[in-house]
Amino acid sequence: MKDKELLKDEKLERVLSPHPLSFMKYQSLSLFLIIWGLLVGWLVNFSGYSEMLAGNEWFPLLVWGLVLLVAGIIASLITVRWSIFFLYASIFLGGTGLLLWQNWLGVSGVFIPFYMITVSILGFLLVEWYRRSHKYIISNQRILFKGGIFTKNERTLRYDKISDINAKQGIIGQIFGFGTIIPISQSGFGLGADKSFAAGGVQLGGKKVKAMGLFGGGKEVQTPMSRSYFELHGVYPYKEIKKIVEEMVQGSVITEYQQEQVSFQKEQVDIQKQMRDLLKSQSDSKDQSEKEENNEDISEQMKKLKDR
Amino acid sequence: MEGSPIDIVVFAPLAPILGVLLFWFIQLLFIESQKYLLGKIRSRHEALCRFTNFLGILFQSICHALGYTVTKSGISEFYISISYGRVAPKKQKKGLFEWIANVFLFIGPFFIPAALLLICLFFLMNQGFEIIPPSSLLELKYTFGGQIATFGTSLYNFSTNFFNFLLNIDFLHPAHFGFIILMILLGLGIRPSHIGEEKIDKVDMIYDLRNIWRLITHKPIYIIILFSTAYVFFYISLYLNQNWYITLFSVFGWLSIISIVSLIITHFIIIMIKLTDNIPGKKRILPYLTLPFSYILMRILFHYIKTPQSNSISTIIMIMLTGLVTYYLLRKNTNKFKTKKTIKTKDKKQKAEKE
Repeated sequence: MKDKELLKDEKLERVLSPHPLSFMKYQSLSLFLIIWGLLVGWLVNFSGYSEMLAGNEWFPLLVWGLVLLVAGIIASLITVRWSIFFLYASIFLGGTGLLLWQNWLGVSGVFIPFYMITVSILGFLLVEWYRRSHKYIISNQRILFKGGIFTKNERTLRYDKISDINAKQGIIGQIFGFGTIIPISQSGFGLGADKSFAAGGVQLGGKKVKAMGLFGGGKEVQTPMSRSYFELHGVYPYKEIKKIVEEMVQGSVITEYQQEQVSFQKEQVDIQKQMRDLLKSQSDSKDQSEKEENNEDISEQMKKLKDR
Repeated sequence: MEGSPIDIVVFAPLAPILGVLLFWFIQLLFIESQKYLLGKIRSRHEALCRFTNFLGILFQSICHALGYTVTKSGISEFYISISYGRVAPKKQKKGLFEWIANVFLFIGPFFIPAALLLICLFFLMNQGFEIIPPSSLLELKYTFGGQIATFGTSLYNFSTNFFNFLLNIDFLHPAHFGFIILMILLGLGIRPSHIGEEKIDKVDMIYDLRNIWRLITHKPIYIIILFSTAYVFFYISLYLNQNWYITLFSVFGWLSIISIVSLIITHFIIIMIKLTDNIPGKKRILPYLTLPFSYILMRILFHYIKTPQSNSISTIIMIMLTGLVTYYLLRKNTNKFKTKKTIKTKDKKQKAEKE
């Protein structure tokens, strides 16, 4: 963080980045590609099935693509993200296109492993690039979240605006000592929703008359959830950082005793205000009576003058 | 020479039980030694220690859950972390069921994960699972000596084939590679190292033994029932002239052997980690790179030069080369493996140069 970005009296506590293993869910997609690529290479070239797969030059491609797409569907269903399926489908289509374009169908047993390893390395590099784009700055006044490869996202959160802190640590996090801390602001930033929906369809009637019906239901659960660049994602050392953040938040929140003091002072100020108003009103009424007296004198003198 | 009736009725059934106990005790010693080694590398490899502890807790919790499932208690809670595991039953059963669930908890981790590897071995190893009847070995049948000989022969037969399989293992075969990975995981997590977030020293072999002893003495009636069942099973085997009794205990023996071999492999890995820690800088990665590269190079070489036993030769060369590279790096970069005299002369030379 540059010094000019610092506010008045602001002091840096920590500058953090996510742990290299904190994006394992993305890295595991690449890992699967490497494993499956090597397995296809072994199946086609060295295994007992190599003769069967060599029977038709399309067989290795079909086996490779089928497993890749099925894995994509399973991963998408588990994570409720169809982007994984489309990613794997595009990898398959890209590979198939390259094979047909270069007429390498006969050497698919060699091409597929190399292609998959190359794609995986690219995947790992992308994840690493994404990880390195994150920067979390903890100062004595606020937390600054920065992230994003092309679009730079930034979030500033003052400690007095934090209403709740959610912290989680998975098994890999527990082993390597990193974890995610989601500060939830009073406006609800840091909260997401898990939605589930179930639907059923029904068809009634015979051949000519048909009636269609669709019924279903869903539920939504509010849960701490945020983009990795709006939370302290996979920070290391987790426990230490969590303690720092909690202490900072605690320092920005007034305690019960302090609250009593504030209300007491408020009462005193109110009393003083009342007294001031009273005095003011008294002095005003005094002035008015004096004025009235003067007016009466004038009117009397006027009367006397008239009588004369 | 026939055995005496007392030998057949009283002592013969004890033979395989004692054999299994012996192997289990060896297993315990290896586990203790592994815990000691992990404690030595803890300061620099906290993550590895936590991982081994997590594996141990995972195996232990699975065994405990299996105990509750077998006793039809059900599982209401299953929680594991790197330093703590909790399995709670739906119905808290008492008596024999509770005792069986505890047996699964305390003794299960020594055998159940190894059983998974044994199932894999059934598919990977072609032979070694035969139980040779004592009649074909000795004149004595169903005596203490006869039973122990049969048990020993069965174990010897299995061990020979198992070591043969390990020596000829093909690291480029996915199933073989997966098996080795499983073996390493079993070896690392056979029991929790109790080095989670911090080291717990009091949980050691004595602690395990004390727990098992308490389990036995708490309800001695159950252990008597267990022994009686074993004896009845032996008499049925004797009556039908079948070798079922030895077969059952041989399986436990095989499981112990698998566990012990897994522990030996993980010992080598931990020792390698400990040794490479002494190598300064990034050079310490070299031994780990030597392992796969030397093996792949040898396999490529043997792909063109056809040689019998190419797998075993590749494995041996891989191990030797890794050992040599580690030794060389340690000798070159540290004071290890240097005689006192040479260190002294080197120090003198350095001092002279400085002056």
